[in-house]
Amino acid sequence: MFQGQRAWFCRSVSGELQQFWVTEGGRISVPGAADFLFSCDASHPDTLRIYQSLDYIEDNATVFHAYYLSAVANAKIKNSVALGHFLLPPACLQEEIRGKIGNFIWEQDQHFLIEEHNEV
Amino acid sequence: ATDNSKLLKYRCSGCIAVGKSLNSRNFSKLLHSCSYQCDRHKVIMETEDRYKSELRKSLICNKKVLLTPRRRKRLNTES
Ligand SMILES: [Zn+2]
Repeated sequence: MFQGQRAWFCRSVSGELQQFWVTEGGRISVPGAADFLFSCDASHPDTLRIYQSLDYIEDNATVFHAYYLSAVANAKIKNSVALGHFLLPPACLQEEIRGKIGNFIWEQDQHFLIEEHNEV
Repeated sequence: ATDNSKLLKYRCSGCIAVGKSLNSRNFSKLLHSCSYQCDRHKVIMETEDRYKSELRKSLICNKKVLLTPRRRKRLNTES
């Protein structure tokens, strides 16, 4: 499913999800060369660096929640999962956004998440 | 709201687009070019846009702050 695609992973993403990416044909790369930027924690220093980059400011770097990958792993039709539901905005904006539209989709669909992601 | 209207509300190009064409590089542009964003994507996009323009401003300010005193200091030690 991810043949020929490169992804960057924040260290907040579990090895299991990264392994799934590789198993599906994806490669892992540095942020500058990645087609996909995945994170599980918008306030992790790795991810903060993305939000402070020129790429982000210029709309060239959207960070997605890595739960997208577990949604794909659990979907009957793998490419039926909408990536757009897994937008991960900077942590400092999440509260404001939640106030307007409720929980993020990656917060609601917890049932398909891998056990490792228990809230700490 | 019923499940149906909820689904309809969720359908803009940011919601529907699946598969290989979308990624971290083009998603933001796709969303900006979509003329009928759903509530969800609209709110996220507008909030991020505001944040980005603040970042842009502070980036320009930082450059000025960083450049001016340093140059001044150097001039002071030289004189
Ligand atoms: Zn949408």
